[in-house]
Amino acid sequence: MTAYVLHLAILAGIYIILTLSLNLIIGYGGQVSLGHAAFYGIGAYASALVSLHWHFPWPLAALSAMVVAGACGLGLGLPTLRLKEDYLAVVTLGFGVIMDLVFLNLEITGGPDGLVGIPAPNLLGVSLRPPVLYLGLVYFLVGLTLALVWRLVNSYHGRALKAIRDHEVTAQVMGINTPAYKVAIFTLAAALAGLAGSLYAHYISFINPESFGLHTSILILAMVVLGGMGSIIGSVVGAVALSLLPEMLRQFHGYQDLVYGAILVGLLIWRPQGLLGRGKLSLKFVTRERG
Amino acid sequence: MFFQQLLNGLTTGSVYALIALGYTMIYGILGLINFAQGEIYMCGAFVAVLLLATGAVNFFLAFVLGMSAAALLGVALERIAFRPLRGAHPLVPLISAIGASIFLQSLALILFGPNDRPFPIQFHFRTINLAGLPLSTLQGAILGAALGFMGLLVLFVRYTKYGKAIVACALDRDTARLMGINVDRMVSLTFFIGSALSGAAGIMMAIYYNGTYPRMGLLPGLKAFSAAILGGVGSIPGAIIGGLILGVAESLGAAYLSSGYKDGIAFAILILVLLLRPQGILKGRGD
Repeated sequence: MTAYVLHLAILAGIYIILTLSLNLIIGYGGQVSLGHAAFYGIGAYASALVSLHWHFPWPLAALSAMVVAGACGLGLGLPTLRLKEDYLAVVTLGFGVIMDLVFLNLEITGGPDGLVGIPAPNLLGVSLRPPVLYLGLVYFLVGLTLALVWRLVNSYHGRALKAIRDHEVTAQVMGINTPAYKVAIFTLAAALAGLAGSLYAHYISFINPESFGLHTSILILAMVVLGGMGSIIGSVVGAVALSLLPEMLRQFHGYQDLVYGAILVGLLIWRPQGLLGRGKLSLKFVTRERG
Repeated sequence: MFFQQLLNGLTTGSVYALIALGYTMIYGILGLINFAQGEIYMCGAFVAVLLLATGAVNFFLAFVLGMSAAALLGVALERIAFRPLRGAHPLVPLISAIGASIFLQSLALILFGPNDRPFPIQFHFRTINLAGLPLSTLQGAILGAALGFMGLLVLFVRYTKYGKAIVACALDRDTARLMGINVDRMVSLTFFIGSALSGAAGIMMAIYYNGTYPRMGLLPGLKAFSAAILGGVGSIPGAIIGGLILGVAESLGAAYLSSGYKDGIAFAILILVLLLRPQGILKGRGD
């Protein structure tokens, strides 16, 4: 039982990092990504591959995961972030589907079987294989991510991002380099998702394309929207709630997904701005002209 | 070989186009991406298949009833999952649609089970020679029916009062309201028509691939969505062209490049097109 609770807590922690990173794109960058799990997967595979083939110690593997995922984010972001919202949604959706197929078809990623035997992190001679220790590592990084996001959104750069989110043209007139900010935040979010991927890979020790497909992207997105776009605490709440909800629905044996879908729709009708979203934010979008 | 692939592509493409029409009409009028469109497609196919399996109705009645069921599901979905969220950030109805899609998929799973159901009645399709090219009558029938539905839709939108009212709402909802158009009713009508077309697409695909299962709507839904964007979202001719292009590209890509990446080809083309022509192939909204 304790082992199971620890397992859920570790996964929830990984989802918190993912949700925070996506919230940077959506809630602060004003962009949409429907393929965030691709960066999560890229990080997981990158970290696993450098550990398996080059025997990188975990911190270096995690760093490689962040660099590779960040580079992919930069590569995708540079040409596409000038597209408007809806098109960006499709491009990121397509990127997610394509990356899923790449994981499935490449030889180096092990195809549908994935990669096995990914080593547990070893820090200063202590193996983090025991879940309690791994939990410590995950939540240490959750704390770091929270601190980073908090510092970022309350800084000069954070205010610039909020300005872009609320009204891009005005922000540009005020002298904010909007394309640079959008690409930067997209890259940072991709790198953080890569970190989450590394944490996942070295915890589960076995990865295959199934974990990084469309449903994962959608799950992360649902966590952001349910928690409240642009709310940091909201992201934490959304991530914890939606990663625990399936467990709480176990009593509805066989009807889990049915109830899950219904709850998702019901919660949004009840609170369209998300559980902890600010009403102000959604009001702004009401008055904002669309198309 | 090439022409065979081209025909295969046109056939699936015409079905993508039918679903894409639903996406594009709904997007045009509400600015909403209805992610549950694939489940409406699945619903149409299931209703027709179940009705036919009883043996009590003939094929055309089952087809019409399948389309009607899909249309009613679409209208109900709009009432329950989208109308209360009008005015919220566009991502909120998107997630609501995804929630509805999870709900409907698992409902289908509970009601019908995970197994693939073959189409209950057998058709006797042949391959005929059309100016030296082999054409299966099944493909011919699907293409013909899909193009027929598209033609009807274009005529409806262009020449009827209701069609024009839908276009007016897509152009500017507030002005349309000032002109005395009942916007809510037009939104319901749009969902009705778009969903009926998706239901028809579902039934045709159930015949073409001889299979009906709860998750059948997922990939066609995503591809049709891309087709709608590819053609320029909100544009009816765009959705048709986008669907056909995607179908052909996918079929040729799978044949000549790599079948493992078949489902990714549509998206790769889409990304390239969007980078070169960010407004879609045919720019426009709601015409």
